[in-house]
Amino acid sequence: MEPFGIFILAAICQFYSCAQNVSDSVERMQYASVAGEEYLEGEKIETNLDDKVYFDFDKSTLDASDKNLLEDYLPAIRKAKIVRLEGHCDERGTREYNLALGERRALEVRDFLIIKGISGKKIRVVSFGEERPIKNASNEKAWAENRRVEISLY
Amino acid sequence: MRSFILILLSSNMFSLLEIEIIKGSDNLSKVAFVPFGIEENLDENYGLQISTQIEKNMLLFGEFENLDKAEMLSFPSSEEDFYYRDWKIMGVDYSVIGKINSINMLGNLNISYSLFNINRRIKILEGEIIGRENNIEGIAKIISNRIYEKITGLKGIFDTKLAYIVNSDAETFQMCISDIDGKNEQILFTSAAPIMSPDWSPDRKKIAYVSFENGLAEIFIQDLASGERESIQALGMTNSAPVWSPDGKSLALVVSFSGNPDIFSYSINNKRLVRLTNHYGIDTEPSWSPDSKKIIFTSDRSGSPQLYEINTQSKRKKRLTRDGNYNARGRYFPDGKSIFFVHGNDGNFQIATKKLSSRFIETLTSTSLDESPTISPNGNIIIYATKDGSKGYLGGITLDGKSRFSLPVKNGSVREPAWSP
Repeated sequence: MEPFGIFILAAICQFYSCAQNVSDSVERMQYASVAGEEYLEGEKIETNLDDKVYFDFDKSTLDASDKNLLEDYLPAIRKAKIVRLEGHCDERGTREYNLALGERRALEVRDFLIIKGISGKKIRVVSFGEERPIKNASNEKAWAENRRVEISLY
Repeated sequence: MRSFILILLSSNMFSLLEIEIIKGSDNLSKVAFVPFGIEENLDENYGLQISTQIEKNMLLFGEFENLDKAEMLSFPSSEEDFYYRDWKIMGVDYSVIGKINSINMLGNLNISYSLFNINRRIKILEGEIIGRENNIEGIAKIISNRIYEKITGLKGIFDTKLAYIVNSDAETFQMCISDIDGKNEQILFTSAAPIMSPDWSPDRKKIAYVSFENGLAEIFIQDLASGERESIQALGMTNSAPVWSPDGKSLALVVSFSGNPDIFSYSINNKRLVRLTNHYGIDTEPSWSPDSKKIIFTSDRSGSPQLYEINTQSKRKKRLTRDGNYNARGRYFPDGKSIFFVHGNDGNFQIATKKLSSRFIETLTSTSLDESPTISPNGNIIIYATKDGSKGYLGGITLDGKSRFSLPVKNGSVREPAWSP
């Protein structure tokens, strides 16, 4: 099983590097590292993969479709130097608790990536809690969009 | 590229908050604020300015009603001219009178004032104050505090301040403070990244808050007089939720080492971090009991966010809430006997209180996205953040149920109010 799995992953890798049209447009930006380390500057790698996984209210567990999405991302993640996982929440509940919950969500994604063989050393986790919503509205649809982890590669 | 940061220390730039009374009770005490008298050859405006300012203060939170000047039968400025009958007949419960006695060459006003209880027909307060002629507001606050305390038995709060976060657009976050009546607003810090969790030092000289200016949650302490900011270099992924201890020597805060948020006590002088909780669940939102012996915090260790308290010496923990699946961001009342917090119920998040000695939770608010409650130093008023559509505003309620009010912001959203000591 093991060599076969690696073969499949390698094949997927190959496939994505050609077919997924990794964009050349890069954006220089600063991103956060773990506090206490230096702040690194890197070039963001644009991909046209779905870069968000979504969560239920007050939950940080990944469902099957989230895992599929992350699986699709693996080849690009392997090639990237740094993976940044940004956890977010909807506006309901308290702000500081949501900051911790956003971190939980990003860590859940990190743990999944580590299980899939990505080195934890290149994964950066940050939470914005409910402070950076995608949709600034108070309804189920907006809340569902805001409960997310955003993946970006550098 | 560093995120764009601007530090501004300014006053009177624009006044954002203005309290609007939504609902007052039908049986409020009625107070007459008689225009203060004035000695001959002094500027007559001072008399009216002072009484009007005292009236504004006393009516600020909807706790009293006033007698219109047009309905006053007399304008006494000393006890000799004061007739209880003139006020009793108008249904007045208390009358405030006063007089500006003199102004000296340095511009100091000498002012005397009295408060009468009309129903009991006695003078209940008499005072004299000297203050600068260019500080009528400040003089009025001191007189208002004394009157308020005499009538209610509670400490006056008209010289307190409010800190809050203004989010005027998606990329502009401002840490602001103002007088409790919304005047003298100052912007302490502006950033393109979110700002969170402001908390006043007990001496009102500093504010601790969380800023994302470097891309992740970090705690800063800002000195209000100098504007200087200092970041707390606590290790870990995320540093958040700073709250000053009552003696001002420590902060309770949350540090997430390798992604597990726990409560710590951070000593400001020797920068030592002492761990208070150690659990794989989320532990956050700490706050000290008034006697410093306990810290209340939110934990999801039971599966949903609930409130706990920990004895800072013995480290013994106790669960405080059991009703409902969301009870978070607890704070103690100034008397230490009750707590207030955010209570989730049927998808609504509202401000609630609970006596520590009882199981019963009492919900105070009726909107659905209420959070960040803060209490007046006298324990009688709670201001909290809520939302109307996409706009955040502040709401307020007096705990005796006499009044509800709101503090809308003119531009953008306002949130996370923190009442100064």
